Amino acid sequence: MGASPRDYWRLLADYLKPQRGRATLLALLLLTGTGFQLVSPLVLRQFIDRALEGEPLRILLLIAGLYIGFAILIQVIKLFETWTAEYVGWTATNNLRADLAQHVLDLDMSFHNQHTPGSLIERVDGDVFLLGNFFSRFIINVLGNLLLTIGVIVLLTRVDWRIGLTIGLFAAITIAAMMAFGRFTTERFAASRQSHADLMGFLEERISGTEDIRSTGATAYVMRRNDEFAREYSRKQTSAVLLSTFSFSTSQLLAVLGMAVSLGVGTVLYRDGETTLGTVFVIFQFTQLLMQPVEEISRQLRDFQQATASIGRVRALQRIEPAITDGPGEPLQPGPLAVDFDHVTFGYGADEPVLRDITFHLGPRRVLGVVGRTGSGKSTITRLLCRFYDPGHGSIRLGNVDLRDCALADIRDRVALVTQEIQLFRATVRDNLTLFDHSIPNERIIDALHRLGLEEWHASLPEGLDTMLDSGGGGVSAGEAQLLAFTRVFLRDPDFVILDEASSRLDPATEAQLERAIDALLAGRTAIVIAHRLATIERADEVLVMANGRIVEHGDRVSLANDSNSRFAELIRSGHDLVSSAEGKR
Amino acid sequence: MSPWLLIRSLATFHRWLFFATGFGVLMSAYILPLAPGLIIQRFFNDLSDNASAGANSWTFLTLLVAVGTARSVTIVVGVAEPVLHIVVGALLRKNILRRILDHPGARSVPVSAGEAVSRFRDDVQAVCMFLAWTFDPIGQVTMLMLSLIVLITIDPLLTIGVFLPLLAIVALVSQTGKRIERFRKANQEAIGNVTGLLGEMFGAVQAVKATGAESRVVNHLRTVNDARRTATLRDTVFKEFLQSVSTNLANIGIGLILLLAAGKIRQGEFTVGDFALFVSYLSGLSVAAGFVGLYLTQWRQIGVSVDRLIALMQDVPASQLVAHGPIHLRGPLPELDPVPLIGEDALRTLEVRDLSYCYPGTGRGVDGVSFTMPSGTMTVITGRIGAGKTTLVRTLLGLLLPDSGEIRWNGRPINRPDAFFVPPRSAYTPQSPRLFSESLRDNILLGLPEDSVDLPGALHAAVMERDLETLDGGLDAKVGVRGVKLSGGQVQRSATARMFVRPAELYVFDDLSSALDVDTERILWDRLFERPGVTSLVISHRRPALQRADQIIVLDGGRVVAQGRLSDLLRTSPEMRRLWHGEYDVEADGDDSILPSQPQPSC
Repeated sequence: MGASPRDYWRLLADYLKPQRGRATLLALLLLTGTGFQLVSPLVLRQFIDRALEGEPLRILLLIAGLYIGFAILIQVIKLFETWTAEYVGWTATNNLRADLAQHVLDLDMSFHNQHTPGSLIERVDGDVFLLGNFFSRFIINVLGNLLLTIGVIVLLTRVDWRIGLTIGLFAAITIAAMMAFGRFTTERFAASRQSHADLMGFLEERISGTEDIRSTGATAYVMRRNDEFAREYSRKQTSAVLLSTFSFSTSQLLAVLGMAVSLGVGTVLYRDGETTLGTVFVIFQFTQLLMQPVEEISRQLRDFQQATASIGRVRALQRIEPAITDGPGEPLQPGPLAVDFDHVTFGYGADEPVLRDITFHLGPRRVLGVVGRTGSGKSTITRLLCRFYDPGHGSIRLGNVDLRDCALADIRDRVALVTQEIQLFRATVRDNLTLFDHSIPNERIIDALHRLGLEEWHASLPEGLDTMLDSGGGGVSAGEAQLLAFTRVFLRDPDFVILDEASSRLDPATEAQLERAIDALLAGRTAIVIAHRLATIERADEVLVMANGRIVEHGDRVSLANDSNSRFAELIRSGHDLVSSAEGKR
Repeated sequence: MSPWLLIRSLATFHRWLFFATGFGVLMSAYILPLAPGLIIQRFFNDLSDNASAGANSWTFLTLLVAVGTARSVTIVVGVAEPVLHIVVGALLRKNILRRILDHPGARSVPVSAGEAVSRFRDDVQAVCMFLAWTFDPIGQVTMLMLSLIVLITIDPLLTIGVFLPLLAIVALVSQTGKRIERFRKANQEAIGNVTGLLGEMFGAVQAVKATGAESRVVNHLRTVNDARRTATLRDTVFKEFLQSVSTNLANIGIGLILLLAAGKIRQGEFTVGDFALFVSYLSGLSVAAGFVGLYLTQWRQIGVSVDRLIALMQDVPASQLVAHGPIHLRGPLPELDPVPLIGEDALRTLEVRDLSYCYPGTGRGVDGVSFTMPSGTMTVITGRIGAGKTTLVRTLLGLLLPDSGEIRWNGRPINRPDAFFVPPRSAYTPQSPRLFSESLRDNILLGLPEDSVDLPGALHAAVMERDLETLDGGLDAKVGVRGVKLSGGQVQRSATARMFVRPAELYVFDDLSSALDVDTERILWDRLFERPGVTSLVISHRRPALQRADQIIVLDGGRVVAQGRLSDLLRTSPEMRRLWHGEYDVEADGDDSILPSQPQPSC
């Protein structure tokens, strides 16, 4: 999974541009730091030659003081540079993280059905973390070090062109060798990171499912799966580090050879009387100094190999386009909305269609009860209405506008969905209820809680709405969580409400309590209600009976119930509870 | 736990790799780098000496290349270090995962799963890195001693001038320890907040989309991100500062040599070769001194990471983190055993006495619950939301650790219910079962050898035949992340099959009603009762279950408010009446086939 130069450039341009000023400052700091590094050996040469020539002690002491001054200055610059680099790097990667998270959230549900949250964390956080260095230092550092290398070679050439040529050749060979290694190590690190992401995904899923694992006595099995994932990662990572160590070792060997050869040339020149001892020393100093940037460049290249793998993965993620995108943004009329399904056929992926040729009309302010066995396609209808998926054939209209022509935000602003599955965030009660919408005043939240009979629960919160909830909802029962989901909808004031088994986790007594609130929620709104309880379906003006993805009956609830030949009446007779439940609650 | 114990235990886990790492690190980073300095000194002395005038130069340069080659070889040996990281990382992760799975299942980690993953990633890595650094103090001391000896023989006064600043660094860094620790901890927490939030938002993606809250959630992420940047900046810049101080002191050391040597070089007491040696050792030592700073920093940071890993294991001795055990990175994987037979211990009675559990912080839970279940009976637990039904079942099964109370199986007290209530004694379907990203078959079997169990029988008992026909690939269908490709009912039925495929004396169901229609539920109970002598404990408020129950336990506010058969309870318990009638408000005669056209009073 490689990345093209254009990918690097795009990332740098997108995320460094907003910090142009700081990035420039960083470049300046790096370049000055590099410049001063070139000066230090020259100071030392002056010192040696002058000491051997027997210059006055005062001048020698002055040179020594100069050296110390430079050394401290370099460190101060370096510290300042670190802060700036880290700041630039973290700002850039944080923005990238947020953008990636946004992108992933915008991707279709079919994408999310295939990727574990654990592996997504690894891609949005883990991969991006490795890019931090790339953003803050890579270009500038490599440039800076290249400059340092060139500077050293130029200075050596001025001493003697043969030395400059020799050293230049070695530096070029070393860097070329590193680049050659780089290509292969990149691939191996990419594979290694993927298997690491798989391992983390595995762990996240199992840690979320410990109740199931413990109670089924499946611990040994999970431990063995862990072995399998660990083994895969071990193989990939070992192969990557072997190659990268070998590459490092080669660069070190080349550096020593370079130094030996340049000293050899220096020796010949000194013996021929063409140069001073101080100059031979400066050759030694410079070749040592050269090892630094060459090492640094090859270290940066090694980091870069890992970063390349990450960039490839980040870009691959960015390139996944959601199939569900905003339409031209045709506006929805205000107020309660009608719904039309027009010959809708739909299947998840390449599977068998879940809905076949669904056609129905639901007028504004009407409440439709959908009943049918589990797996008959009821929840799929609601998912299509929220436009989590597009139908394979046919069309869905909301207030006479095709869903595909609307802006997604409009649809989701007007349509509210309550399922029996509710996820809580490790955040305050307020943020959990408003989903981080800070424009909703406290009074409205408290009012909504009261309407749903959650006064006592609210009163029991130690810090009121600011109380932090545990993720996964520790301390909140499944039934209470469902009431919280209702509260979320109350706060949004939608025009179209979908209740998908929304009260199935509630006991009858609590559900009865909720009735009034549901009445208030449905009043003056269009609604689709899927429920297995009589009382909830009771509100429906119309009933739609589904079987195997088809509508088998649709009509006025009262007349269907009274028509003893109807499927609906049959369902009522056959069971105490009306229907069934449970297409996916997710 | 003391870092030394940690290191000792991890080092002995794979001695061979550990010593190869040590050899690689010591030779390539500390010992061999001393040689070029000496060779260069001789080289310059030889060059500047009028008598020889560079006659031996080629010998020295050949020697230089030889030493360089040797160092390159030791670098290759040093690949043991990253390999050691892999091995030790696998051991740490495995130990932690095992302890997490040892813990009462409903409170297995004290943090969100996303945050737990970040510890599995970052803190494990920190410990691994540190392990390889064990050799650095040895290397530093060796290097220090060797260079000291060499330098003192040349010039004792200068040597002191060089080493004084280095000692100062060590003193300085050890002063700042507390602050490093605090920065580190804050940084780790900030990272955990980010990964935790990411995990939650990707886990709740449908709810986020349905509410159109994508941008708001991402904005919240930006806030958490900023906090992390601040924390990280503090952590790394402070570390960099400490390092830079040590480098600085080394540079000042070189300056001091210049000052002190100035006169001597002029007088020829100190050769250019000596000077080269001093400078070369000082740059080497400044790197090493930087390491001292870094090392002490790491020493403190490692403590933070180790604490976070131990916290993940909750209440087990810290030594468990580094306990040795097979990690199976190569060779055959361990065989999985079938569920053992129950033998003598078949259930006759299960007694629960004064069982209590209180959720920390909230003051809620169950309080003093007692009941007895004879074998072959069905007990239903009912009550309103938040009444403690799920808590009771979890506490009984050891998925929560009871605060007090006693559980007796055939009269024998059970000390560790979590280890006891597993197949072949009990099996359980939780309220919101979790499936994993594997095939449906693997999710049901969870490692049981397929030929040792009756898979078709379990699928039949869980009323799954029809689902299998519609699923693409049948039992081999991949169910997706957390079983997302299945409907909620299918997830629940898969979990029920997972329960039935295991032989058990006691079957425990937490609220199937949200996932099964009434017909299916009836069939399920019928098929359950076909199994001879089956005992069941069921959370439900649905009538088919209540009507079949041999006893009903009505919970309210965590306490038992009524207990008995349905007909008696409907007479004696107002709460039972509310629960029973709430569903069908109007009936007076017990006839529950109400037509929807009848008016329903709103309540």
